[in-house]
Amino acid sequence: MSTHDLRFTLNGERREVTVPADRLLIDVLRDDCGATGTKLGCAVGVCGACSVLVDGELQSACLLPAVFVEGRSITTVEGLAKHGELNALQEAFIRDGGFQCGICTPGQLIAATALIAAHPEPSDGDIREWMMGNLCRCTGYYGIERAIKSAANV
Amino acid sequence: MKTLERPPGVLSEPEWRVEGRDKVTGAARYAADVRVPNMLHAAFVSSPHAHARIVKVDASAARGMLGVRAVITGADVRPARYGRRLQDWPVLCWDHALFIGDRVAAVAADTPEIADAAARAIAVEYEELPAVLDPEAALAEGAPVLHLDPSPYLYLGGKRPTVPNANVQGYGLHEHGDVDAAFASAHRTFEHRFTLARTHQGYIEPHATLLWLDGDVVRVVSTNKAPYGLRQQMAACLGLPEEKIVVDAGHIGGDFGGKGHSIDEFVLYYLARATGRPVRAVMRYADELQMSATRHGGTITLRTGVDREGKFVAHSARVVFDGGAYAAGKPVATLMPGEAMVTLAGYHLPNVRVEAMTVYTNQIPAGHSRAPGQPQNVFAAESHVDLIARELGLDPLELRERNAIRGGEIDVEGDVWHDSAAHEVLATLRREARWDAARGRGHGRGIALGARPSGRGKSAIALRLDREGRVEVLTAVADQGGGQHTLFQRIVAAELGIPLDRITVRRGTTENTPRDAGIGGSRVTPVQGGAALEAARKLKAKLDEVAPGAPFAEAARRAAPLEIVAEHTSDANVNAVYAYALEVEVDRDTGHLRVLDAVLVADVGTVINPVAARGQLEGGFIFGLGQALMEELRVEDGRVTTTNLGDYKLPTIADAPPLRIVLLTDSPGPGPFGAKSVGELSNPGVGAAVANAVHDACGARVFSLPVTAEKVFSALRTERRAGPQEGWHTDAVRE
Ligand code: FES
Ligand code: FES
Repeated sequence: MSTHDLRFTLNGERREVTVPADRLLIDVLRDDCGATGTKLGCAVGVCGACSVLVDGELQSACLLPAVFVEGRSITTVEGLAKHGELNALQEAFIRDGGFQCGICTPGQLIAATALIAAHPEPSDGDIREWMMGNLCRCTGYYGIERAIKSAANV
Repeated sequence: MKTLERPPGVLSEPEWRVEGRDKVTGAARYAADVRVPNMLHAAFVSSPHAHARIVKVDASAARGMLGVRAVITGADVRPARYGRRLQDWPVLCWDHALFIGDRVAAVAADTPEIADAAARAIAVEYEELPAVLDPEAALAEGAPVLHLDPSPYLYLGGKRPTVPNANVQGYGLHEHGDVDAAFASAHRTFEHRFTLARTHQGYIEPHATLLWLDGDVVRVVSTNKAPYGLRQQMAACLGLPEEKIVVDAGHIGGDFGGKGHSIDEFVLYYLARATGRPVRAVMRYADELQMSATRHGGTITLRTGVDREGKFVAHSARVVFDGGAYAAGKPVATLMPGEAMVTLAGYHLPNVRVEAMTVYTNQIPAGHSRAPGQPQNVFAAESHVDLIARELGLDPLELRERNAIRGGEIDVEGDVWHDSAAHEVLATLRREARWDAARGRGHGRGIALGARPSGRGKSAIALRLDREGRVEVLTAVADQGGGQHTLFQRIVAAELGIPLDRITVRRGTTENTPRDAGIGGSRVTPVQGGAALEAARKLKAKLDEVAPGAPFAEAARRAAPLEIVAEHTSDANVNAVYAYALEVEVDRDTGHLRVLDAVLVADVGTVINPVAARGQLEGGFIFGLGQALMEELRVEDGRVTTTNLGDYKLPTIADAPPLRIVLLTDSPGPGPFGAKSVGELSNPGVGAAVANAVHDACGARVFSLPVTAEKVFSALRTERRAGPQEGWHTDAVRE
């Protein structure tokens, strides 16, 4: 297997790693970069636990070969709080019961970030459409919906 | 009746999860996040046959591969078997493989890729044996016996109860009253049979383990939710003293019963011993769905006799659960799901006979899943009651009101309830769900009543007080999402009368915490919460002794540093009652159904964590809805065919209908300040409420879970032909 020198930005920091050409982004993040905030659940692109933003676009890191992020900018859950301050969405998830076990939460927060970027005042339909790819077995989704609405002030 | 203690004021303060910040920043540590230097990766070889004799395992090619550090087979672990109560599951099979997915060899290698390649290079020769795929076939005379000699199997904590048949894992027979006489004199008798699909817990986090040897100490990082339980199981299975095993569970990414059962921990010990290096295993979701201990499928036959007023005068039941190849996943002494015998919960039943069993088959082993035994039994019970109401021409809610248990009456298990919220729950449901209002065209409403006992058990918790008046709670209780650490914080703050931010909660390992029973069986609030309350009381008494009458801060300055360890046992038999009303819309041409609206009335006692309590009830509803509408671990000839989360469907946000929850808080529970357990209250009733609503909407009765469009469609056709439906049997009226 050929290897690849990969350069990208992770939560604003430049990273360089040498990886086998078929390595998936999830493994690069968790194993090579030690950024374990992003989770692996189903490994087949269904559950959304591995959701990350690549140049602002929502992607499943369990499906994406890492070579595709060459030169691009990745945001994971670790990049949401700025200078140790939780953002509105993170606070709302705590206040409104947006998580229980927390394993889906990094992905939910990333997907909700993408949702609010696309629809600053999301309708119920927008929330369902954007968040459908992020499974949560704990909350029944009600708390997640409350958190998104309160963070977006709708 | 116990009067409710007034909950202290601090409980009305907003709840802020103590681990919230870690969970929204990615800092929370789960087992799969832990890495240590020099760590190896495990991979496994498993049987492709439902029942086979292992003739030969040839691992020579795998052993020679670059980067492979150890290959072990059944011969290397024999006779080690593991399990939560009955240790009947071989760490690796050495003579027989009993289901598709049973492991026969394991590899430790430098990378996961090398480990996988090595596992593929191991050649196993099998002799296929006739498979027993159905419990009734396993019970039949002359059926192959799946466990030929169970005598060496360890049974943890006592002696294994006897079973009537070699293929039975656990068995129970309960009788009270004179059931035969009561049936003989009943006005009418109804019998129905229900079948339940096997389902999966569906936690998003797969099991993960990291294990290494530190001198003569075995260190285990695990997703197991009961660290002391795992330690005991490992000690028994591996022949080690308990103190030489240290279990460290971090945050747990969902449990629902599935994280009490560990699989990889046992074999990793042998790999770590063979290599002298740490070994890690993270289950693939495909393996989760094919070999972890699922919810039991089975058949439930209920028979109930009523008098002229529709009162239940006699009840008998036969519950046959498919236990799969091993009983290892079941922690309860009976080796059955905890509520296997509770076939008609929440009703006054003077004459009862219930027989229940779990049966060995060559299927994926079954274990515990949220409210073990209840979703199956409540589906059967509440469908049965609804069918009886229809046959009697009574309003289904009315029939429940006539039979719901009151204080002083006896339930299906023969227990007398001191106090019952059942009637208040039903009256509230009638009002809140506007039960008596007309239904829209094509719409139907269904209800379900249920009850669940608060958890019982024993636990201990430590408190440490420093001179600044800060209190640290030290516990072995891992957090699987229930909010237990926040619960302890609120209980201790409430009892000591100090602000929440003075309390921190630290989870420790089995090396540095008081012994604890682990999470499960709706235990945390009454048992571990009770220990937290007890510890706070002891601390208060100590402060009073050192500085009588002084304010907390001053007393703390004088008494600190101080450590208190308190133990608490909660064994009160107190039930929480709940009821659902669901409205559905059914398309008569296709059978397609949609849940439009749900109302849940739940008797929960005092609420300590309002956000978490609501979250548990909401989450339980969707958990139940998934199992009501879409979830089924499909198996063909012993092979699970739903092997990923695309095929095994879990509900998404788009499946969540409007849900209104009405809490009744006046009937006190055994927990701190009168709290009850809620974690397993709201999932069991959903299936029956859906089936009953479908019947109400279109006349079609579905006797099995999940209630899919296909089943509704075929029931509609049957109903149109007006023949008797499968599973339906009504005795002639007795005069
Ligand atoms: S782990 Fe990537 S979608 Fe499930
Ligand atoms: S919080 Fe547990 S899966 Fe979402």
